[in-house]
Amino acid sequence: MTPRTSTARRRPGRFALALLITAVPLLIALLGPLLAGEPGPRAASFTLGGGHWAGTDFVGRDVWRQVLLGGRTVVLTALAATALAYAVSLPLGLISALTHRGWLEELLMRPLDVLLAVPSLLLILLAAAVFSPGTTGLALLVALVNIPDAARIIRATAAEAAARSAVEALRMQGETWWRMAVGYVGRSALRTLAADAGTRLTGVLYLVATAAFLGVGVAPDAADWAVMVDRNRTGLFVQPWAVVLPAVLIVALTMGANLLFDAALTGPGRRRTPLREPSPVRKETRP
Amino acid sequence: MSGTEAVRGTGAVRGTGTAHSTGLRAWVARRLLLGAGQTVAVVLLVFALTEALPGDAAVALAGDQPDPARIAAIREALHLDRPAHERLAAWAAGLLHGDLGTSLTSGRPVATYLAGGFGPTVLLAALTVALLIPVSVGLGVLAARREGRLADRLISSATLGVYAVPEFALGVLLVTVFALRLGWLPPTAVGYGTDLLAHPAALVLPVLVLLARPVCSLARLVRAGMIDALASPYVAQARRYGIAGARVRYTHALPNALAPAAQQLARTIDWLLCGVIVVEALFVIPGLGTVLMNAVAERDIPVIQGLAVVFGLTAVVLNLGADLVARRFTPRAAVAA
Repeated sequence: MTPRTSTARRRPGRFALALLITAVPLLIALLGPLLAGEPGPRAASFTLGGGHWAGTDFVGRDVWRQVLLGGRTVVLTALAATALAYAVSLPLGLISALTHRGWLEELLMRPLDVLLAVPSLLLILLAAAVFSPGTTGLALLVALVNIPDAARIIRATAAEAAARSAVEALRMQGETWWRMAVGYVGRSALRTLAADAGTRLTGVLYLVATAAFLGVGVAPDAADWAVMVDRNRTGLFVQPWAVVLPAVLIVALTMGANLLFDAALTGPGRRRTPLREPSPVRKETRP
Repeated sequence: MSGTEAVRGTGAVRGTGTAHSTGLRAWVARRLLLGAGQTVAVVLLVFALTEALPGDAAVALAGDQPDPARIAAIREALHLDRPAHERLAAWAAGLLHGDLGTSLTSGRPVATYLAGGFGPTVLLAALTVALLIPVSVGLGVLAARREGRLADRLISSATLGVYAVPEFALGVLLVTVFALRLGWLPPTAVGYGTDLLAHPAALVLPVLVLLARPVCSLARLVRAGMIDALASPYVAQARRYGIAGARVRYTHALPNALAPAAQQLARTIDWLLCGVIVVEALFVIPGLGTVLMNAVAERDIPVIQGLAVVFGLTAVVLNLGADLVARRFTPRAAVAA
């Protein structure tokens, strides 16, 4: 998780700036395909001018049109992968936190501990070498590599909430498992989950873009910002716009998303309490 | 690695009671067991993934050149006529003897591919790790000392922003500015061969890009830990005794501030291994990442398997090391296992 710093106060300026940085690439990604229009005739590769204000790309397509088209896959794949990762890790984490059967918890969480050690991009590349996945496949893979970490965080948060006496009271009242799991434990874990969802989405955006840059899950001539950066690199010295425009949009999207989540999730009431009082750990380690 | 000096610094703090040390020993044993499990899992996973080709693996692997001779050669090379468990046993036995098999496309042993790409990758990784610790601790301590002031706000915003940016986008923009506009640095490592140390200018941008994400995450953790530590009673007490500010900061506050950062090291390793692949592709550095990407493009299964095992095991071993280091810093907080 991203560390939330103790001085991060909700500053309206910071929030607005983050919103602005995120809004530009997000609007282009979501509305761009509607504005792109029909493809024009192909021109020579890597030229500037001639009716193309941002020039042409490696096969002579209009760069601006490709930019308008190329954000949707990045954003939608990232959103789908994040949702999918939670769809699996939420039940996994909640069940293993609330079960009283030790073997069930071990069975659910141990395999994830083992998976946690494998570098995420390596797993994606391995699968890509064998299956040549499409966009859906990429979303599935990115979701898969996020499940171990997400499930661990959910389990830890839910286990803390489940150990409270309120849960014991609910159990004695004969409430259903469902009401305890979702109604109480799930709700208490919501704030941690919101913070985790923010960092996870930025991490997923990073993975989706990086995988596309390395050619996983995308056609070699796809209208995708990451693919544009990769394919147009050969013409960087002739026609830098074909690389710089999509790269700047990706930087703005990832940077803005992270700033936005941080500004939104560390408000005045949600400040991490500074350790004025020593925690037991500190007292022990530094007498 | 990273934490050794700091570990020595906090060494005296560690409890010496017998109950404590047996608890530690049990924890280390459990963690080593998990590491062994992860090693086995990596080998199994790599084998399962690369052997899980739908349909006839040899036909699928031949891809664009489906002539019968090539298909037969692939079937022969991968021993596809034998059942999967025999192939796994043979492959795993080979791994134990350091025999990684031979390439499908060139017929050369996989070990020569590894040896060829080893130098540049290790150079990149070593330079990055050597710079990572001082830079992130320096930035974190600087920001903590100036908490709330301009330097802190600049460092905090910059580290938060750059933290999430993919290496390739950042790298391509840096190339545009420093190679294309200003002409200070070479845009790629093309033409320098594997002896990159002789051309330090070609290493500046790759190492900078590789450093960006880990530095941001570690600097933020050091800053947060340092602010907590500087506000703690033991630091106030040390100040009351009249101990010099620098000594309080570096010998009393910093070791405690490093604990969360040491735990984050494991995550950083994952990023570095991924980052190396991207950075080598971006700057055309002939290291292990480039070998892996070429093998993926050619669907050269034995080379992919060999490299995946090397990358996977490196990750497992470094994760283990990072957990042990983190445990030294915070004996009470159970890390993993």
